[in-house]
Amino acid sequence: MKGIVKGLGVTFKNITKKKVTYAYPDVPMNMPDRFRGVQHFEPDKCIVCNQCARVCPTDCITLVGKQDPNSEKKVKIIDTYDINFEICILCDLCTEVCPTEAIVMTNNFELATYSRDDLFKDLHWLENNNTLVRSENSTNLQPKAKPKPKPKATKEEGVK
Amino acid sequence: MSIRTEELLVNVGPQHPSTHGVFRLVVKLDGEVITEATPVIGYLHRGTEKLAENLSYTQIIPYTDRMDYLSAMTNNYVLCHAVETLMKLEIPEKAEYLRVIVMELNRVASHLVWWGTYLLDIGAMSPFLYAFRDREKIVELFNELCGARLTYFYMRVGGVKWDAPPGWIDKVKEFIPYMRKQIEEYEKLVTGNEIFLSRVKDIGKYDSQTAINYGLSGVNLRSTGIDWDLRKQEPYSLYEQFDFDVPTSTDGDCFARYRLRIEEMKQSLSIVEQAVAQFPEEGKIMAKVPRVIRPPAGEVYSRIESPRGEIGCHIVSKGKAEPYRLKFRRPSFVNLQILPELLIGETMTNLVTIFGGIDIVLGEVDC
Repeated sequence: MKGIVKGLGVTFKNITKKKVTYAYPDVPMNMPDRFRGVQHFEPDKCIVCNQCARVCPTDCITLVGKQDPNSEKKVKIIDTYDINFEICILCDLCTEVCPTEAIVMTNNFELATYSRDDLFKDLHWLENNNTLVRSENSTNLQPKAKPKPKPKATKEEGVK
Repeated sequence: MSIRTEELLVNVGPQHPSTHGVFRLVVKLDGEVITEATPVIGYLHRGTEKLAENLSYTQIIPYTDRMDYLSAMTNNYVLCHAVETLMKLEIPEKAEYLRVIVMELNRVASHLVWWGTYLLDIGAMSPFLYAFRDREKIVELFNELCGARLTYFYMRVGGVKWDAPPGWIDKVKEFIPYMRKQIEEYEKLVTGNEIFLSRVKDIGKYDSQTAINYGLSGVNLRSTGIDWDLRKQEPYSLYEQFDFDVPTSTDGDCFARYRLRIEEMKQSLSIVEQAVAQFPEEGKIMAKVPRVIRPPAGEVYSRIESPRGEIGCHIVSKGKAEPYRLKFRRPSFVNLQILPELLIGETMTNLVTIFGGIDIVLGEVDC
């Protein structure tokens, strides 16, 4: 009997303590700066080097480039860029390898939807997801990034 | 008058709350006594080892997060450690300190989940809330350090991904005395409780010979009196520098395993305390590694002490960027094998107690 009474003492001591639960959906949850949320993508910065697609452990990134119409030289710009968040594991590797910080991490994490199709995010969605970008990347965030970094040869070997 | 009796077949799981995941146990009952128990596993099988054969070493690390998801840091480490041993890499001291700190904090977090859910299984609701309240502090520390609450993906071959953010080490320093106080509270709340004691004392007993025959490791082995902890026996990382005890018990019952896990939390906190005290402010966190990691051809088996026991990683490399074969020795899977033997002759209520006492994580069992 003694042990139970001792345990109840702890219970009573804790009754008066402050609540520790979060009021999450009512009060927004602030994640620390390094939090790996949904990516933000800047089409202007992308040089179509394909490194993010190649380093992805789950192959959830699909991208297609096209010839830059404003340039005579062989310069590629991004045409489509899709991330399938059904299989993305938010591991941060794509932002780690990106040489121009075209793809960066944000703190947004609310991906829940009613349909699985909604989890297929395209270039425009990712471009508009521009809040709460990780601070080490957000200093370089400008609407028009010029001059463009020189594109690297697409044959360059990535991590894989 | 004779009563007609019949053998009863009961399915425990795959979605029973006490199985902590998707685990099925087919139990044959004679009245209330178990005559046979057959575990059915594989519901969570994802083929990590096969997937790894087509992935580079850096890409495999996030998959290890998802094996033993309660102690992802130790899983990260065992893979990195194996590759580093194969490449004979020298790891910067600061990276090693960070690794030890996060691995030991993760051990505390993992044991807290075990402590909470174990008591939840055997009928005590509130300890679970206490455990998760305090685990939240560790999870938040990790969230700040590496940007995730469960799948940390913190370690890389050659070091760690992030340096400690400003003030993080101080937060860890503040956390240690807090957690010590909480563990004392846990013991007051549960350890002396007569109902709890009658549920766990002398339940699920086995001797050291059985434990060795089944290849058990971790607390399941140490509860039978064998002093075997890879942090002491085959020191890896910086564990040789730290002063800590390996708690053992000779009882071999569920209560012994409970006591040992509580003691291990205290020892882990003492390791973290020593590590943050000696933590070097300056230094690199990554060794010089090529962008494409190609370990030399050869084989390596590295093993470390995870919260559940000996976790091992066997790599066969052919000198390519992907492993030729990758094999994980998962402690949960090995420890689970003793379950059918322990259950025979026990009652249905003891099933939950014994099963919980082994402490398995289904992500790791099915891998």
